[in-house]
Amino acid sequence: MESIYGDNLPKMQATMEEVMNCISEVRQKLTAEYGMDPVEHCLCRIKSEESMREKCRRQGIPENTESALSVIHDAVGIRVVCAFISDVYRVRDFLKSLPQLSLVEEKDYIRKAKPNGYRSLHMIFRHENGLYVEIQLRTISQDTWAALEHNLKYKKSIGGNTELIVKELKRCADELASTDMSMQTLRDTISGLN
Amino acid sequence: MKLLLAEDTQDLNHALTTVLRMQKYDVDSVYDGLEAEKLLEENGYDGIILDIMMPGKSGLEVLHDIRERNITTPVLLLTAKSEIDDRVAGLDAGADDYLTKPFAMKELFARVRAMVRRGTEYSAKELHYGDVTLKSESLELSSLNTVRLSMKEFELMQTFVLNEDKELSTDFLLEHVWPEEPDASEDTVTLYINFLRGKLTSISAHVTIEGKSGRGFRLCRLGKETSDDSESHGSRQP
Repeated sequence: MESIYGDNLPKMQATMEEVMNCISEVRQKLTAEYGMDPVEHCLCRIKSEESMREKCRRQGIPENTESALSVIHDAVGIRVVCAFISDVYRVRDFLKSLPQLSLVEEKDYIRKAKPNGYRSLHMIFRHENGLYVEIQLRTISQDTWAALEHNLKYKKSIGGNTELIVKELKRCADELASTDMSMQTLRDTISGLN
Repeated sequence: MKLLLAEDTQDLNHALTTVLRMQKYDVDSVYDGLEAEKLLEENGYDGIILDIMMPGKSGLEVLHDIRERNITTPVLLLTAKSEIDDRVAGLDAGADDYLTKPFAMKELFARVRAMVRRGTEYSAKELHYGDVTLKSESLELSSLNTVRLSMKEFELMQTFVLNEDKELSTDFLLEHVWPEEPDASEDTVTLYINFLRGKLTSISAHVTIEGKSGRGFRLCRLGKETSDDSESHGSRQP
């Protein structure tokens, strides 16, 4: 069967690498400026054939290249995990300043968390070559929470009080957010900002 | 420990003020309800002693007003023997205790000690200031977002809300939030205030704590210049 991405895979790969290189650049720049790497780690992926087809079916749209590259915007995805909250916004500001990327959408779930406690900054950019790139930025503890919450699979579980679990997961998220802010305050205190 | 005494009978006021000061209390004394309210707006107290029958504004009216304004400072009412209805009304309006005239000084001291002791344990389930809610059972601080505070952060925030719009000195905060901790210093207060400032920002509250160490701190409302769906964010950058 032909790929849902048609013959665009090399172009997607190259675009992803280009943005990853830009992120490496800002890491070096900010490390020189603040004496600390703002990025803890950075992951990227091209959505698998299978998940992309599944997403098309879920959204009730045809399983073709048009849907995969123009209707759905996360065929190319990058996740940047930062050390501190202020780093998240520094990296965001840098990405917004890149001339080859134009911002299509920005959803700040750090400023206002999702009801379940999920915190992250979601951005969709359109590259000048026409491809969309989704970039998620979050702190280490926000990433930890998202990863662990995802692993729990409580939504599908039969046993256990789901309502209680949801409430307690939200509590964990709010405690982590509090700790994140305390770490930020300590960092600002050490660097003489406070 | 700071007390406010409102008693209109000159001799009694003078005598009470003198003996309470001898017991090492810092006492502000006034002769009517209006003066009492004026001082309550300006200062934080650890306990209030209110006579019911006073010119200007009665002790009951003062009590009603301060409870409505989130001031949960413990109140001891001074009543005459015949004022049973007033005592009931006073307790219902939020007084913590009463003492009928005439009373022995020893008993007054014991009741004041008990009142001040209880005061530090008092906490309303939910306190509000501006667009911020502070919940004592869960230690939640909420506005657009929610975070969970540590115990000390909670106690500090509670102290600010209970003394809203008043300037609180570092010494006052040390005495009320870190009473049993000799190691706590001015730096401790400053750091915890910065913790709270960060957390108020991260929940997008239109409330902050003004002031600098060495001077006083004050909880205050911010102008609503940033709307909730604007592009501004939760981090504090210069």
